[in-house]
Amino acid sequence: MSAALELRDIGVQFGQFQAVDGVSLTVNAGEVVGLIGPNGAGKTVTFNVVTGLQPSTRGQVLLGGQDVTRLAAHSRTALGLARTFQVVQLFAGMTVLENLMVAAHRHTHAGVVVDALRLPGRRRALRSAEERSRAVLAFLDLSHLADVEVTTLPVGQARLVELARALCLTPKVLLLDEPASGLDPAETADFVALLAHVRSTLGCAMLLVEHDMGVVMPLCDHVVVMDFGKVLASGPPLDVRDDPAVRAAYLGDEVA
Amino acid sequence: MKVYIALALGGIPLGAMYALQALGIVIVYKTSKVFNFASGAIGLVCAYFASSLGPGGWFTRILAVLAATLVGLVVGVLMELTVRPVKGALTGTIVTLGWLLTLTGFVGFVYGTQAATHEPVQLAGLDGNRQAFNLFDVLQFSWQQLLLLGIAGALAAGLAAFFRLTDLGTATRAVSEAPDAARLLGIAVDRVNLVAWGLGGAVSGLAGVLVAPLLGPLDNTSLIILTVQALAAALVGRLSSLPLTVAGGIALGMLQPVIHRALHSFDGVKGTDELTAFAVVLIALLFFKRSGRKDVVSGGLTPVPIRPLPRGGVAIASFLGIAVAALAVPSLVGDAGKLTNYNVSQVAVWGTATLSLVLLVGVVGQVSVCQAVFMGCGAFGAGIALSHDVPFVLALALGGLLAAGVAALVGLPAIRLEPLELAIATLSLSFTADRFLYSWPPLAGENGRREIARPGFANVDPGHVGDGNRAYAWLVLGIFIAACFAVASLRRGRTGAALTALRSSEPATAAMGFSVTSVKLRGFAASGFLAGVAGAMYGGLIQSATGAPFDFSRSITLLAYAVIIGVGSVPGAFFGGLLVTLTTLDFGATNGVANGHFVSLTTMVTGLFLIGVLMASPDGIAGAIGRLQRDSAPEAEAVLV
Repeated sequence: MSAALELRDIGVQFGQFQAVDGVSLTVNAGEVVGLIGPNGAGKTVTFNVVTGLQPSTRGQVLLGGQDVTRLAAHSRTALGLARTFQVVQLFAGMTVLENLMVAAHRHTHAGVVVDALRLPGRRRALRSAEERSRAVLAFLDLSHLADVEVTTLPVGQARLVELARALCLTPKVLLLDEPASGLDPAETADFVALLAHVRSTLGCAMLLVEHDMGVVMPLCDHVVVMDFGKVLASGPPLDVRDDPAVRAAYLGDEVA
Repeated sequence: MKVYIALALGGIPLGAMYALQALGIVIVYKTSKVFNFASGAIGLVCAYFASSLGPGGWFTRILAVLAATLVGLVVGVLMELTVRPVKGALTGTIVTLGWLLTLTGFVGFVYGTQAATHEPVQLAGLDGNRQAFNLFDVLQFSWQQLLLLGIAGALAAGLAAFFRLTDLGTATRAVSEAPDAARLLGIAVDRVNLVAWGLGGAVSGLAGVLVAPLLGPLDNTSLIILTVQALAAALVGRLSSLPLTVAGGIALGMLQPVIHRALHSFDGVKGTDELTAFAVVLIALLFFKRSGRKDVVSGGLTPVPIRPLPRGGVAIASFLGIAVAALAVPSLVGDAGKLTNYNVSQVAVWGTATLSLVLLVGVVGQVSVCQAVFMGCGAFGAGIALSHDVPFVLALALGGLLAAGVAALVGLPAIRLEPLELAIATLSLSFTADRFLYSWPPLAGENGRREIARPGFANVDPGHVGDGNRAYAWLVLGIFIAACFAVASLRRGRTGAALTALRSSEPATAAMGFSVTSVKLRGFAASGFLAGVAGAMYGGLIQSATGAPFDFSRSITLLAYAVIIGVGSVPGAFFGGLLVTLTTLDFGATNGVANGHFVSLTTMVTGLFLIGVLMASPDGIAGAIGRLQRDSAPEAEAVLV
C-alpha cells in the first residue's frame, strides 16, 4: 500500500538561494510525522510545497500514491489533504458553524444557478454541510460555540475551531502549521491530547511543523529535522533528540 | 509593407501623448497606490480652459498652455486632499471616479455639451500642420507633431531625473515602497503624496491640452475615452516603470493605425483604436503575476465587516409592500398612468442593474465599472434573439447570458489579480464599448440599433396604450423582485459561503477546496447576467436597443449610486433604481442646451456626492444609518458580545 503522503527529492530555489534542497519524507497512513528545524531551515517552504501554495522547482509530491505536484491547492483538498495555518485564518464575519460549513461544502455540489433559483439541490447541500459540521463540533466538544462569531474567540479556541474546520474536509492527511504557537503550556497540553484523540479515532495521518518539543515528543511517531534546506536527521523522536548533528544545528557547533 | 511602416511611424506623436497621459497616472500610482481614473478628465478640463483663453499670438498660446497645466496641478492637489482621508487604495481609486464625473459634469455645465463649439489651442499655430520633413515618403512629421514629440521626450526625461536624482524623488520612492517606514524615518508622507498628485495632475492636464488638436474640435467625451490608451500604456509599464510606460504608449500609437488599416476592409467596423488598446490591457493583465504586487489591499471596497443578511421575512415583506404600492398608484391615477407605469418599469430596470452591483461589490468583493456595457450586451442580445422569433421572456434570459459571457471574458485575465485590475479592465471595456461594441454590426445591427418588440406585453389596443405598459411594468417588477430573492439566496448558499470566506482569507478558502479564481469568476458572471437582464428589460421598455443609454458615464454613475447608497444591502438596489430614474427624468426641457446643462449638473453633483460619501462614510448612506442605529442602541450591542 502506498504512503498517505510522500515527498520525493523536493527542491525549491528562489533566485540563487536554494531554500529547500532534496527533501524526501514519507508519512504512512495513520502516522504522525513532525518536521522540525531551526528558523530558516526551509520547513515552512516545504510545508507550502505540500499544500500547493509554493511550486517546487524539482521533485514530486505524492498523495495516496497519486502525483499531485502540478495540482493547485484547492484540487489537493479533494484528494484528502487538509491544513491549518500558523496564524489562525478563520473567516471573519461568520459564525463557527458557518466557518465549518465552508469546509463541509467540499462534499456538496450546489452551483450558482441552483443556489440563486432555490432548486432542491440547494437545501440538500446546506443540510448535509450543516449536519457534517455539527457532528465535527460534537466530536471535538465545541457544540456550545456553534453560533459564536469567530473574531470574538480567544486564540486557544480559534485554534480548535480551525482544527474542526479542517476535519470537516474528512482528510486523509492533516497538515498542521505550528499548531501550538500562541498557546500557553496548559492549552498546549490539551491540544496535544486532543490531536492524539483525533488520530486514534479518525486515523488520519498528520504532518506537523512545530518548534515546541512538548508537542513533537509525545505526539510524533517519526521526526524529520531540517537545516539549510536539507534533511539533517530522521527517525523516532528520542533517537533524533540525541543525534549529535541535531544538537549542533540547534545549539551551535561548540556544544556538540 | 511600406504603407504599414509609414502608418506605424506616423502614429508615434499620438503614442507619445498616450505615454504622457499614462505617466500622469503612474506617477500618482507609484506614490499613493491610488489609480487615477480621472486623468483623462483632468486633460478635458485643461483643454477647454486653454481653449477658452482663445487663439492668439504665439505668446498667448504658450501662456494658455502653461495656465492650463497649472489648472491640472491644482486639480491634482485637490484630488489628493480628498483621497487622503480615505482608507484603502481601492476606495481611493473610486474617489477618482467621483472626480471623473465631477470634472466631466463641470465642463458640460460651463462650456456646454455641444461638440465642436471650442477649437483646441494649437501650440505650433495654424501653420503647424505644415510638413517639417519627409524621408522617402515613409517618415513624415508636421511641425505640430515634432513639437509634441519634443515636449513629451523632455518631460519624460525630466520626470525620470526627478525620481532618480532629487531628494524629493527618493522620498517619493520610499513612500511608495513602505509608507509607514518612511513616516518613521521623518519623511512627510502627506507632502510627498501632495507633490506626486500635483505633478501627476499637471502632466495629465498638459497631455490633454497637447493631444486635443490631434483629435479635432473639442467635445466632452473624446479626451476621456482616451484614458483607455493611457491605461494600456500604464499597464505595459507594470504601473511602475516610467521608461516602459513611455515605450508602451509609443508602441500603442504605432500599433493602432496598423490595426486600423488591417481591419478597415471589414465594413462598418469602428473604434479599432480603442479595441486595440483594450486588447493591450487584457494581454498586459495576463502577464501580471499575482504574487508580484502585494500593495493593494484585497477584499473589496468597504472595510466594514460583512454582516449576515437579516433572516426572516422582514426585508422581503417591505419589498412586497413597496412593490404593491408602486403598482397600485398608477392603477389609481388612470390616464396619467402611462407616464407612471413607465417610471415604475424604469425603477425596476435600474434597480436590477444596481442589484447586479450589490452582488458584485457587496458579495463578491470586486468593483466593476462596466455594468452598463453588460446592460447594452443584454439589450442587443435580446434584440438578436427576438429577430429569431424567440419568446420575449426567453430573449431576456438570452440577453443576460450573452452579458454573462462577456463578463467571463473580461474577468478571466483580471479577476485572479486584485480588485484594482478588474476595475481597470472593466473601465477599459466601457470606453471600448462606446466606440467599438455599440457600432459593431454583428452585435448592434447595421445602424447600431435593434428593434425590441414585446409580444404579449404590447400595446394591444391603440386606444389603451397604458394597458400594455402596465402589463410590462408588472413583468419587470416581478423579475426585479425575483432577482432580489435570487441574490439573497445565492449569498446564503454554498457559493455565497465561499465568496464571503474568500474576502477574509483567500489561502484558507483554497484550502477548503474552492478554486478562488473560479468562485470569483462565477460571481462576476452572475452579476453580468443580472445586468444583462436589466439591459434587455430596458430595451423592452423603450422597444429598441441602442448603445447611447449604456455609455461609460452610465457605468460610472451606476457604481456611484450603488456606493453612495451602500453596496452591502439588497434592499438598497431599490433605492438605486429610484435614484437613476429620478436623475434621468425628462423635465420637458425640449431645448437641447438646457437639457445638456441639467445632465451635466446631475453628473457633477453625483460625482461630488460620491467623493463626499467615501470621505465621510465608505459603506455608504446605509452604513451610516446602521452605525447611527447601533450607537443609539448600545445595550443590544453588549448582548451580542
